[in-house]
Amino acid sequence: MLPAAADGRAAPGRLAATVAPTVITAKGVSKRFGAKQAIDGLSLSVAEGEVVGLLGPNGSGKTTMVRMFNGLLRPDAGGVTVGGLDPLERGDDVRRATGVLTETARFYRHMTALQNLRFFADLYGVTEPERPRRLLEEVGLGDDMHRQVGTYSTGMRKRLGFAKALLHDPRVLFLDEPTSGLDPDGTRDVLTEIRRLNEARGTTILVCSHLLPQLETVCHRYLFIDSGRLIEQGTLAELKARYQRTVLLEVDTDLAPEGTALHGHAFTVTEREGRRLLTFRLEERAQVPGLLRSIVGTADVYGARVVEQGLEELYFAIRQERLS
Amino acid sequence: MNRRAVWAMASKDMRAIGANLQVLLPMLVVPLVLGVLMPGGLVWALLRFGESSGELEEFMRVLERVPVGSLTGALASFTDPSARAAFLLANYLLAPFFLLIPLMASSTISADSFAGEKERGTLESLLFSPVRVGELFLAKVLAAFLPATALTWGTFLLTTLTVNAVAWPWMGRVFFPTPNWLPLLLLVIPLLSLATVFLTVFVSARVSTFQAAYQLGGVLVLPVLVLVVGNMTGLLFLSTPVIAAIGVGLAVVDLLMLLALRRYLDRAQLFESQVG
Repeated sequence: MLPAAADGRAAPGRLAATVAPTVITAKGVSKRFGAKQAIDGLSLSVAEGEVVGLLGPNGSGKTTMVRMFNGLLRPDAGGVTVGGLDPLERGDDVRRATGVLTETARFYRHMTALQNLRFFADLYGVTEPERPRRLLEEVGLGDDMHRQVGTYSTGMRKRLGFAKALLHDPRVLFLDEPTSGLDPDGTRDVLTEIRRLNEARGTTILVCSHLLPQLETVCHRYLFIDSGRLIEQGTLAELKARYQRTVLLEVDTDLAPEGTALHGHAFTVTEREGRRLLTFRLEERAQVPGLLRSIVGTADVYGARVVEQGLEELYFAIRQERLS
Repeated sequence: MNRRAVWAMASKDMRAIGANLQVLLPMLVVPLVLGVLMPGGLVWALLRFGESSGELEEFMRVLERVPVGSLTGALASFTDPSARAAFLLANYLLAPFFLLIPLMASSTISADSFAGEKERGTLESLLFSPVRVGELFLAKVLAAFLPATALTWGTFLLTTLTVNAVAWPWMGRVFFPTPNWLPLLLLVIPLLSLATVFLTVFVSARVSTFQAAYQLGGVLVLPVLVLVVGNMTGLLFLSTPVIAAIGVGLAVVDLLMLLALRRYLDRAQLFESQVG
């Protein structure tokens, strides 16, 4: 099964996907912190060249998994691999291949951004001397690279973190909330860069985020976790097929029906730019032509469209169904 | 061994000492007091007021009883009792203070080693990088050992200048140090620093704050304080054989600690100590 990009086409980074080996795996992983069961028998896998979104509420175990994949945490049960290697056994080989951005891994506040990146370049064995400076320019910190990180805003730190994750040109990226705290420009830059890295270099990327509409444009596939358990996974199309129970049809018309339903279809009325819009909730797509015909027969219709339901709606539908 | 990464981490830490007041302050004040003000003041007071003080006789009787060993010959060249007292004070009684300085410096710096990274949230960034925990430990050890030893030797140089300058009007020659300082400076002090650093880095890796590491590290000062008081009261003597014995003992302790540390170099454990 070849997961497609959000818009239906297979991303170039996924061209070899039919034979692509899995790069990230977790098998029956459990981890307890004191009384809290952070991860509870979690299994997942990410194939080479995939961009996968790991979705779940705060405390559902996303960051814990990122740490485990990099050998910072030892699972109580089960095991993980990255690039076929156990991060507890071959940790440095794993970490040389992974770039990590998390909210909790910080920079040295009394050092400038450039000093910080040069320090990490030493740790990662980056050979190209100008790479820290060039990356800082690429993430838009060119003018601020000589300022102490302690004076940086949240968004600037996030950009710096992204630059650090890319320092050693990793094959696998773990991005934990890469866009939270960023302004719209910064968000667009990061999302563009994620797509570029994946398409141009085939970088495998696991993204954790709450900002679901953003993920929709970059991920091939989604993993939904809650309380350390995998509750659902699939491409946007697969998830829609499973969870999208209704079709929303928005019609721009003079028709002013009484009540809350027309021809047995519930509707709501909204005003937009001086136009009255009727939004019908249908059980399936096949009902759309019939409904439109009946409206066109009785009133003027200026436009009609099926409202795309996004990841956010699916997220709530999945959680409601799987957790109830 | 990833030398580039080890040196990057060690030099980063050494540069940070200057920026961290709670580390820097004791490192400047203690050597200044123990290495400059106190020896200079005592030697000056002895030479200036020694003649007129009846208590000097008492002090000298105590001093004459200590086994001065290699100092005997040099001591005999002083005829003036207050000069003899100043000579003994500087070359004999100061020695334990030069154990306190590296002890203080290395425990203060290394208390911050891991605990400081945890407090600032940077340990996780280090652990995400392809650096072995052993290399991280080595960097932390170097970052405390090198400045502590340099500080001690630097202080010793200042003491030498101070004591000789203060005593010049009476002595008219350089009387400090004597050769029996060599094993202390070159053997005992580095080994003691190393032992302190090993222990405090280990403590720092286990606790979550600098304060906790610093206080636990402070426990280490006690045995040396006992040595100081013991030496003062004539119970224990830091003569050359004693110093050599301490050196050998420390070398053994260092080796044992290194072997023990190797068993505790675990990334996951180090990371989880961040919260505990």
